[in-house]
Amino acid sequence: MTGAPLLAVKGLRTSFRTPNGDFAAVDGVDLSVPRGRTLGIVGESGCGKSVLSLSVMGLVPRPGRVAAGQVLLEGQDLLTLPPAAMRHIRGGEVAMIFQEPMTSLNPVHPIGAQITEAMRAHDPGATDLRARAIAALARVRIPAPERRFDEYPHQLSGGMRQRVMIAMALACAPKLLIADEPTTALDVTVQAQILDLLRDLQAETGMSIILITHDLGVVAEMADEVAVMYAGRVVERAAARDLFEDPQHPYTLGLLGSVPRLDEDRPRLLAIEGTVPPPFALPPGCRFAPRCPFAVAACEAAPPPLREISPGHHVACLRAPVELAA
Amino acid sequence: MTAPLLEVQGLAKHWPVKQGMILARQVGTVRAVDGVSFTLNRGETLALVGESGCGKSTTARLVLRLIEPSAGTVRINGADITGLSAPELRRMRRQAQIIFQDPFASLNPRLSVGEAIAEPLVVHGIGDAASRTARVHELLGLVGLAPWQAERFPHEFSGGQRQRIGIARALAVQPDLIVCDEPVSALDVSIQAQVVNLLKDLQSRFGLAYLFIAHDLAVVKHMADRVAVMYLGRIMEVADRRSLFANPRHPYTRALLAAIPHPDPRRRGKVTPLGGDVPSPLNPPPGCRFHTRCPLAQAICREVEPPDVQIGPGHHSACHFAAELPPPEHDFSGGLTPVAARRLALFAAREAG
Repeated sequence: MTGAPLLAVKGLRTSFRTPNGDFAAVDGVDLSVPRGRTLGIVGESGCGKSVLSLSVMGLVPRPGRVAAGQVLLEGQDLLTLPPAAMRHIRGGEVAMIFQEPMTSLNPVHPIGAQITEAMRAHDPGATDLRARAIAALARVRIPAPERRFDEYPHQLSGGMRQRVMIAMALACAPKLLIADEPTTALDVTVQAQILDLLRDLQAETGMSIILITHDLGVVAEMADEVAVMYAGRVVERAAARDLFEDPQHPYTLGLLGSVPRLDEDRPRLLAIEGTVPPPFALPPGCRFAPRCPFAVAACEAAPPPLREISPGHHVACLRAPVELAA
Repeated sequence: MTAPLLEVQGLAKHWPVKQGMILARQVGTVRAVDGVSFTLNRGETLALVGESGCGKSTTARLVLRLIEPSAGTVRINGADITGLSAPELRRMRRQAQIIFQDPFASLNPRLSVGEAIAEPLVVHGIGDAASRTARVHELLGLVGLAPWQAERFPHEFSGGQRQRIGIARALAVQPDLIVCDEPVSALDVSIQAQVVNLLKDLQSRFGLAYLFIAHDLAVVKHMADRVAVMYLGRIMEVADRRSLFANPRHPYTRALLAAIPHPDPRRRGKVTPLGGDVPSPLNPPPGCRFHTRCPLAQAICREVEPPDVQIGPGHHSACHFAAELPPPEHDFSGGLTPVAARRLALFAAREAG
């Protein structure tokens, strides 16, 4: 990889204040996203992947706050920007799409008005907004965009709504698109359409994508690099190919083994015993230790550092690779 | 071969669409399920798979008469349940139970878990208070929960645990058939695997038959003995698992299989999207319902409803060209790399030991 990354997240810690004390939903995360590439962030509910993306966008809801770290977009720390400047970045240089397009669209306004609103916010003097919005709809392959411009969200299917969200996100030519479970609510045939569209648009615009998902199939299909998160920390980070060919962290192994596959007949799935620890009762050492069949006393003593075991492949596990532990 | 446990013939559910507040008149009909027939044997799993709006969940509810069918018959253990009175229907439900998708919505938040699991026993007048308590403890053990958890309330449990509670409740009356309506779709992958394994264990232990409703073909391939693919209220293809995945004979089945991304970056870019959206069931297309999205559609598909073509034993496809389709293009070779497979085996061995 040449040149500086578009986005670099360093030591990010986002904590929420509760009556039982502060807890960190994201706890010391380092990531980088090269230009024009896709970073996949994988994990289950509660692993902190959505809070991480909200932290990058400066949208952490109260009582949460970013307690430490840097979010560097082309070298500029977004966390130190005043709110007005951040508003300019958000939707301008960094855009975001969410899982459920129906709740992200305003039901009482036609979709065309919602797209032009975003354009006007970032470029108050803009003209022929209608034509630009229709072009944006056409670009996400919505049939008959002139007619769709005046339609309301309820008149569109789930896949069409997600296309509208993408059109809106891309209206100001962002350098980074954060897609938080963009296809989770969609049927598999529609999911394939949306993934195809995102890939084409990336090739066309050269934008970087952070793709947040729980679906290892989607990650394998889309991501150049993958970060696996568990309970607020990155446990493994590698090029997508390396992660699937040479999975190191026991949690990554557990995830891979939990997914039924079409290319394999196994009588029994590998199930990770137990559940993700609640944020107010995190173990002091490795957070996966209570569920890990390879855990030893040292795992419970202190959090394992993220170490590089081969170029670009990082893992936070004392026992990796597991065959040496056995 | 004895008679099947469940036999469904020409099942249909048509919802009237009305307009006007006082003198409402019917302006259309939503054909949610439109002539579905299948059988399910004892101890077997039949999966109903399809995209949202295909009628698979409506079929699940019709089979138990949780909603009234517009046409067709449902026989459980040989008896047609479509004409049963309410008390007779209640007796029937000892043989057939259901597990729902959303474990958050399907448990009463004001009943303790023990009360929720004992409720079917009370309804059917099984046992006395002491024997019911013992049975609840036994059921909790069967689904991997502890007896003391009977005193707890649903909000104290995680999604996976709540789904286990739902399974325990369905098992309480020792049914022959459990209708599983997307039982793992709302769960995280690692929890999904736990519940899938539990369902398989319980099936081999008690000889349960599952009508397994799902949209994820990989889960279906793992769970089912036979698979029926639904589209717009009709069954497009039905076959045993092996034939359906190795030799799908309906373009819709092929499109579904081709749309699934594999967890394997070496096979990137092989996903082929199917164009368009599912048409409205208010106005299903004439001829073959799939013709508006079918890459192989001919003139006949737009006009004539396809007949049921038998491909092999138990393998049927509702496509004019079922027998002539070219060999399927998808490729299910691959799988885990040797390194990954070895580490997964170590993980499994450690977990078991």
